[in-house]
Amino acid sequence: MNNNSNLLKGGMGVVLLILSAVILVVSLFVALTNLGSQGHASFNTSSTLPWGQPIATYLYFALASSGLGLLASLPLVFGFKQYYPVAKRCVFLAFVILISGMAVLALELGNVFRMLWAIPLNLQVQSAMFWMGVFYALDLLFLLWKFSKLDAGEWDSKTSKQVGIASFIGVLLASGNLALIFGMMSMRPFWFDGLLPIYFYFTGVTSGMAALVFFVYLAHGFSRDRMHPTLQSLLSGALPKMFAALIGGTLLFIAARAITGVYSNNPEIHLVWSDYLFASSLYHLSLWVGLLLPFLLMLNGNFRNQAGVQLLVSVLVFLGLFAERFYFVVGGQVVPLFKGTWYPDMIAYTPSLTEWALTFVGWSLALLLIVLGERFLNLSAMPDGVAESTSARPLAAG
Amino acid sequence: MAKWGMVIDLDKCTGCQACTTACAMENNTLPGESWQDVLFYHEGEYPSGQMKWLPRPCMQCEKPSCVYVCPTRATYKDENAGGIVFVDWNKCIGCKYCMIACPYGVRFYADEKPLIEPDMREVYPGQNKQLWSPPYQNPDEDWRRGIGIQPPGVVSKCTFCYHKVSKAPAGTVDFDEDNPAVKEYVPACVRTCAPKARYFGDLDAPDSQVNQLIGDKHGVRLKDHTGNKPQVYYLGAGAGVPAFTPADKGDKS
Repeated sequence: MNNNSNLLKGGMGVVLLILSAVILVVSLFVALTNLGSQGHASFNTSSTLPWGQPIATYLYFALASSGLGLLASLPLVFGFKQYYPVAKRCVFLAFVILISGMAVLALELGNVFRMLWAIPLNLQVQSAMFWMGVFYALDLLFLLWKFSKLDAGEWDSKTSKQVGIASFIGVLLASGNLALIFGMMSMRPFWFDGLLPIYFYFTGVTSGMAALVFFVYLAHGFSRDRMHPTLQSLLSGALPKMFAALIGGTLLFIAARAITGVYSNNPEIHLVWSDYLFASSLYHLSLWVGLLLPFLLMLNGNFRNQAGVQLLVSVLVFLGLFAERFYFVVGGQVVPLFKGTWYPDMIAYTPSLTEWALTFVGWSLALLLIVLGERFLNLSAMPDGVAESTSARPLAAG
Repeated sequence: MAKWGMVIDLDKCTGCQACTTACAMENNTLPGESWQDVLFYHEGEYPSGQMKWLPRPCMQCEKPSCVYVCPTRATYKDENAGGIVFVDWNKCIGCKYCMIACPYGVRFYADEKPLIEPDMREVYPGQNKQLWSPPYQNPDEDWRRGIGIQPPGVVSKCTFCYHKVSKAPAGTVDFDEDNPAVKEYVPACVRTCAPKARYFGDLDAPDSQVNQLIGDKHGVRLKDHTGNKPQVYYLGAGAGVPAFTPADKGDKS
């Protein structure tokens, strides 16, 4: 693979590096200044709605990371060799996106440093949040280990395979458990759903795919001509079809949740859909423009394979699923819980400047780390056999 | 071993909020940080419209979902303290998961926008790691049990006034505010209740007044379907909590 084809190694990378660093410094400054002077009163969350946009941001990043981890397992665990050209980039993106999400979560907590000793020393194994710490720590470790193996060119060694399988299991446990943090809360009927892990896996892979497509194109200056033939082949073959299927599946999941929600007489589910989600023009925008439009575009065989369409779809899905996470987290809390007529209406919540700053901390940190990775690591690497194979012929699975 | 329980007679409650005020004074809580509140429920329309007052402390559940979700064991149920659910402010990381998991909405994260102006935290800035430091403070402080004024970034809740209850003579089963021997140990909300709608005592003592009331007057626990099994029981009509209905969508039936 010719490293020079990666535009981020050149001037464009420097520009993006500076841009992301500036956004990171400014947003971090705003967040830390406000948190330092006002504490968490600088958030628009409250005792009646304790989890806001920073949690949604963390959820988005954590699930996008898990989705990327699952995509990496296609070639590395399940032998879908046509996905080798994106495997290393998937693992790297999964790692840095998870780091960025964790940074946002850390700034959301009341006492972040206390977490470092209080969680491991008290071993509250009944808490899904305890397991979130365990599984995501393992996830990070395995991603790093797997990346180091790939970076050393060990694609098919026994250890590499074992680490790949361990990482795959780690991703399933981490994101499935993250779903159960919400899904096991029977007192919050909008979230309470034993199949929520499946929903999180599916939507996580979709957001991971959106991130992957966007950053693959970014690395190659939004031009498919600069890509290795095997990567070109993937982007005009198996990958867009899978992307289309993932968006379609995500829409099906949302439709199933919406239909059961609207049908239910339980106001804690029904009202969330009718008076909060479907009453919000932003939610409609995220649903129809962020998910349905991309799906329709990707259904068409001609559109699907065009670089511009793929790029547009990746951005729309990226934003659409971010909104989806936001409305999921907030939607579970908008019906006042046992507050009587003191709270006669649904709880209104709009993120504060500090909360938006934290979201930008996450995005800019992720972008910074990604550009650094693109500049200093060869993320387009793939096994020699795959790189040398005939570019025009799609590689068979197995 | 004692198991502290509270009985609230809704036929006697007048909704005067004296309990809420007494709790705030006793525990130095901020406006809006209502460890004890009297909820007001409005249901139906003329001619069958109802208004209900529902005093609501922490339910100190037998199966507290807040305890199970806490990743650091900062929230814990202390069977040696009568089954009261405490928050250890030295361990709480402020993740707020317990607030998500509590079906009764009785947990507070006071590090939030002030309910009223001026902001009491600015009027009386926090000292010695306290979130705020008003001039009068209850001298009892025990951060391992969430008693006193909390530091920033932790969750707070009703403690059944453990700092009072724990000082009662051994073997006390009925905390009657009219009994001079124990009145100092009665939880603030119970002691101040003018219509004497609240009772406090030992649910493990067969002859305790709380047990007799629950048995004789058909005490019920709120939201029993959650399985949390509160140690707070309600008597009388009005314990049925209506489902949430937005103000602009009143019951037209």
